[in-house]
Amino acid sequence: MLASILASGLAIGAVYALIGITYNTMYTASRVMSFTAGQLGMLGGVLGSLFILRLGLPAAIGFVVTLIACAAIGVVTEIVAVRPVLGKLDQHLYVLSTLAFALMIQQVTAIEWSTEPQPFPRLLGIGNGGPWDEKFWLPLVACAAVTGGLEFLYRRTLVGRAFLAISEDNFAARALGLPERNLRMASYALAGVVGGIAGFASGELLLAFFANGAMLNFYGFVPVALGGLGNNRGAIIGGIALGLFQQAANFTVGGVFSSVAVFVVFIVVLLAAPQGLFGSSRARRV
Amino acid sequence: MTLTRRGFTLAAAGSLAAPFVARPAFADNEPIRVGWLAALTGPSSAPAIGFDRGVRYATDLINAAGGVKGRKIELVVRDTQGDPTKAVNAVQDMVSRAKVHAIYGPTNSGEALATTPIMARGKMPNLHPGFVDSLIDPTKFPNAFRMAPSNSQINEAVANYCLQIQKVTEVAVLGDTTGYGVSAVTDFVTLFKQKGGTVVYQAQIDATQPDVTPDMLRARNANAKAIVIWSVSTGMEARLMNTRTTLNWDIPFLGHPAMGSGEVGHLVDKPENWSKVYILGFKNCSFGADGKLPPRTQAFVDKIKGKIELKDTILWWVACGYDAIDLIAKAVDATGSSSSEAIIGHWNTLKSYPGLYADYAWSATQHNGFPTDEIVMSEANSQTDGAYKLAPGYTICGPSPQGEGEKSRREPKDCPIEEVMMSAVTTLRAVAHPRAAV
Repeated sequence: MLASILASGLAIGAVYALIGITYNTMYTASRVMSFTAGQLGMLGGVLGSLFILRLGLPAAIGFVVTLIACAAIGVVTEIVAVRPVLGKLDQHLYVLSTLAFALMIQQVTAIEWSTEPQPFPRLLGIGNGGPWDEKFWLPLVACAAVTGGLEFLYRRTLVGRAFLAISEDNFAARALGLPERNLRMASYALAGVVGGIAGFASGELLLAFFANGAMLNFYGFVPVALGGLGNNRGAIIGGIALGLFQQAANFTVGGVFSSVAVFVVFIVVLLAAPQGLFGSSRARRV
Repeated sequence: MTLTRRGFTLAAAGSLAAPFVARPAFADNEPIRVGWLAALTGPSSAPAIGFDRGVRYATDLINAAGGVKGRKIELVVRDTQGDPTKAVNAVQDMVSRAKVHAIYGPTNSGEALATTPIMARGKMPNLHPGFVDSLIDPTKFPNAFRMAPSNSQINEAVANYCLQIQKVTEVAVLGDTTGYGVSAVTDFVTLFKQKGGTVVYQAQIDATQPDVTPDMLRARNANAKAIVIWSVSTGMEARLMNTRTTLNWDIPFLGHPAMGSGEVGHLVDKPENWSKVYILGFKNCSFGADGKLPPRTQAFVDKIKGKIELKDTILWWVACGYDAIDLIAKAVDATGSSSSEAIIGHWNTLKSYPGLYADYAWSATQHNGFPTDEIVMSEANSQTDGAYKLAPGYTICGPSPQGEGEKSRREPKDCPIEEVMMSAVTTLRAVAHPRAAV
């Protein structure tokens, strides 16, 4: 039982963490919590299945094409749902615009793809369904790769530092001549890629199912809140902890009650640390 | 020309009498308008598309043969898209504007719950395949007749299969977290306990839950000997089947027909994970051990070969649609009238009417037309041409090909002894539980 809790808990936790990073990547570039993050995860699975199983592309090419498509959706999100409301951030119109766009993505997928879950291809063929099956460790590998890649991008490259600059101080970055709009679009493309990786790596576990979008939106937001807005390390720890706790609750109290248990803990944590476990409270100019 | 008093009186009398003189000639040619309420598009459209094939085939067949006493059948089709609001509007249109003589549908219970009271107010003869028990009440809805089993009958059939054929008394019952899943699990658990069985574990599982190992382990630890599943979520069902194999747990799954859909076949890791899964089925539309359908149904399937596609639908949907039009036509044929009173009155007298889908029987006080003993379990992975193979334990002596308006069965002496015994069991069961209590 412990092996099952660890395997599935770590796997689903890694997916939540990646969706949390998707939220953060979009947030740091625009100060907008875009509710398309979970849909990008869903699309990673659906498009992967479409390109590899239905269109017969090799897995590697299918993976790359999936990420390109998700990046494109990320850019469209920025243009359609974020840019028009950036001037009125204080009115939180982005909640409506990004939620509406997320619903559109979900409904189009349901109509054009299927309302039933569809199979996702076996990528490596390792394991027989037990705790060491690839469907459990692929999301973990993906999470580790994304974390390492983002660390490298943000700490070691000029473009990454430019991302950090606009997230730290938008006006100062623009004053220094950084192309803020292009960098924001690139951030949304990057978020699309991260979401796509989450969905693709967890395709064997979650299947290619349009309803995964809403589920990932919901549970992917928890690590962001737990870890602190914009804090990727917090999101990873929060996501893994959430996955493990959820699976442990599944085993001990059953499926329906596990959701209740998860959100009881979530509320308690937020009451104790409103800024999240790893977030720092910001001074507000008055 | 001068108008005399006598001339005026005769002309007035003639013009008053004219409609009554002309009426029989008009009625003779008036088409029989049948309202067909179907969710032909939208997420729950698959059954309606199947029903529709049977409806149109029966209509074309009757019209090609000259109609019913010279009257053609005219379908008035409305696509409800699975939306109760659209279904209500369509019924009002059919009753007030199109002035149909009878309505078949809606094809799902959610819509039927909204439309049944409206049709009752309009005294509209109505046949429908909805499963929800409360849709049938001869006192409140004397116009509504069910031509499919009710949920109570289905639960009864599955419980009987567990207890009497599989000889399993300890089961786990799983459902999804939808309203349907919750109510189906609750109803089944109540009935199974009443019949002497023990539910060792019951749970609702979210359809998107990626790993169902916890629930399967809990069921195994509770010593379940079979798992009854009520869900339309094919993803969840496939995960349960895959996990059963991973756990090396060799127990049968029983329950919802969704477990037999082609989607599940694509989602299981290996084809063998789909074996030992038994779904709700219907005797007249199931393959026997000899790989053949009952003769009456087989004759129909042979007849429609090349005309109706069965590979992407379910045979009983097509058969039920065919039967609905046949039942309306036969009512008009038998009574010579398409009035509400005549059609409803005729249906109230039907005893074991030999349909393709079932042998329907209705009375003034019982509008559940589907015999419980015709509900069977089928092997989920055995679908061919929209029909499934009977699950192990059944050996049914099928009805012979349909004669014109009459039903005949093979004599018991022609059936193997197991068949006779099974018939006796079902007869006894029918005596004990004549129909689902509604």
